[in-house]
Amino acid sequence: METVGDIMVRLFHGMTPSKIIKWIIGMIIVFVMVFPIYWVLCIVFADPGVSIAVNPYLYPTSLTAGINKIIGIFRETTIARAYVNSLGYVFFQVLGVLLICSMAAFEFALHDFPGKRVLFLIALLALMVPGIVVLIPTYLLVADLHWLNTLQGLVVPGLASAFGLFVLTQYMESLPRELFDAAQIDGCNHFRMYWSIALPLSKNGLITLAVLQFIRTWGSYIWPMVISQKQPSYTISQIVGAYNNVQQYATIDTIMAVNVMALVPSVLFYFFLQRFIIEGVARTGLK
Amino acid sequence: MLRWIRKYNKHYLMLLPFFGLYSIFFIYPVISGIYISFFQWDSVHPPVAVGFSNYINTLTSETFAKVSINLLTYVGIAVPLGVVLAFGLAVLVDSYKETIWGKIFRSAFFIPVMIPLFLTASIWRWLYSPDLGFINTALGWMGIASIDWLTNPKVMLYSVVIVDAWASAGFNMLILLGGMKNIPSEYYDAARIDGANKFQEIIHIMIPQLESMFFLVITYGFISALQVFDVPWILTQSTFDAYGGPQLGMGFPVMAMMARAFNTLKFGGAAAYGLILMIFILVITLFQFRIRRRQETE
Repeated sequence: METVGDIMVRLFHGMTPSKIIKWIIGMIIVFVMVFPIYWVLCIVFADPGVSIAVNPYLYPTSLTAGINKIIGIFRETTIARAYVNSLGYVFFQVLGVLLICSMAAFEFALHDFPGKRVLFLIALLALMVPGIVVLIPTYLLVADLHWLNTLQGLVVPGLASAFGLFVLTQYMESLPRELFDAAQIDGCNHFRMYWSIALPLSKNGLITLAVLQFIRTWGSYIWPMVISQKQPSYTISQIVGAYNNVQQYATIDTIMAVNVMALVPSVLFYFFLQRFIIEGVARTGLK
Repeated sequence: MLRWIRKYNKHYLMLLPFFGLYSIFFIYPVISGIYISFFQWDSVHPPVAVGFSNYINTLTSETFAKVSINLLTYVGIAVPLGVVLAFGLAVLVDSYKETIWGKIFRSAFFIPVMIPLFLTASIWRWLYSPDLGFINTALGWMGIASIDWLTNPKVMLYSVVIVDAWASAGFNMLILLGGMKNIPSEYYDAARIDGANKFQEIIHIMIPQLESMFFLVITYGFISALQVFDVPWILTQSTFDAYGGPQLGMGFPVMAMMARAFNTLKFGGAAAYGLILMIFILVITLFQFRIRRRQETE
């Protein structure tokens, strides 16, 4: 069992003046990266009605005030509904992308068939076309399908993700092909090979893609803004945007309480899945 | 023929969900986008063919000139600055190797990347606030006068650059760090025997070895910076009928495209706007690939 003293010794072992300067620079950057988030919490957990001159929000002053603000947000606004919408959007988007892209990746990575190269190139074309070009035409298509302000309108157009296909194909290419040849000889059918052999073996690839897709979907702003323009179908990003709107006259406390609610899933996600996130970004080079 | 179908149909069956959705929600929008860009259409009345006038109107409009200059200035500053910052962070983290501090710094520097951009913007809008914001409060402590980060047209562009640097430095850092790990340590050993110092090692070994990583970070940085939307939109409290803040100081092309579509309901014009932007992005990207190939052959 390490004592606090042992840990301190380990942390600061062998520090020379130049190393201390480097460390101080590092800590200043840590401060810059973390402070804005800390500041949000200080504003939410502050006594209401105290002027900024008295309390410049550098430390939290009241736990109950913060809790009351957050409860107030849930009571007075549609944020609970927006949460459900956002979670539904993220859940079905991640699951759908994993399923549809893994099926296609299974074929591209492990089998040969006529037209394979051409189809793969066509699919990767989407990586080269900036998303902004298809935004308006896709919106018009979703409107034609009468899918505006619906969950399927948010989810379905993003399911055939070229990015997802690319990541999973790369992972599955490292699986041994002999395994699948042997399974075929044993009479295993094609879909079962995918479902019971390829999927379990590409667990890491699937987790990486799930993590990256979560970050993208939870963070998407312009797409829900276009598709869910009416109140009950707002996502969290729409609520945050709406509160920052000129016509809202929302006070800083209210907006920050909304921000905290939007922040919680991202922070939890980072806290628990940090290893996969860092590996995933480093490995794919994209987010 | 029948045998051929029987032999391969299982493969095409597995590809069907992907390519079915891909055709409907990617290929079709690309084609219909090009098609409607030659029409005047508000999605209610029948479309009217107008030839190239959507393109001409866009290119000659006053806002287009303004938002394009904003975009070029923004991209010209934000991308190089972002890469330099990310490289600095990566060198710092890398110097700690796999020690605790290396992990602490890496995790902390990456935190902003996890925060959705719309949320980042919503937080920074208040950090920049003239009377409540921390930044002006801190400047006040140092005896510096308040800066109108969000309303002074001379400053606004740089306010977006700062937010972008904060939000994306950690992401690029991680990619560069991955490249640094792959540099064989023998290279450094050899340099040290020749009497190279830390600075020379970075210049002569690390930077050349990271060439492909820099290329990735720069091209990806350009593609996302050219489509900048979330941050300036929220910082200026934009709506479809009023965006970009005073004198369009934070106006960017995607914002103008959105306003054209949803404020004036000119969907043909908006599609043309998107296509012009795409050509712009493709030209810049191809140009980068060109430069890179030339460097490689030298």
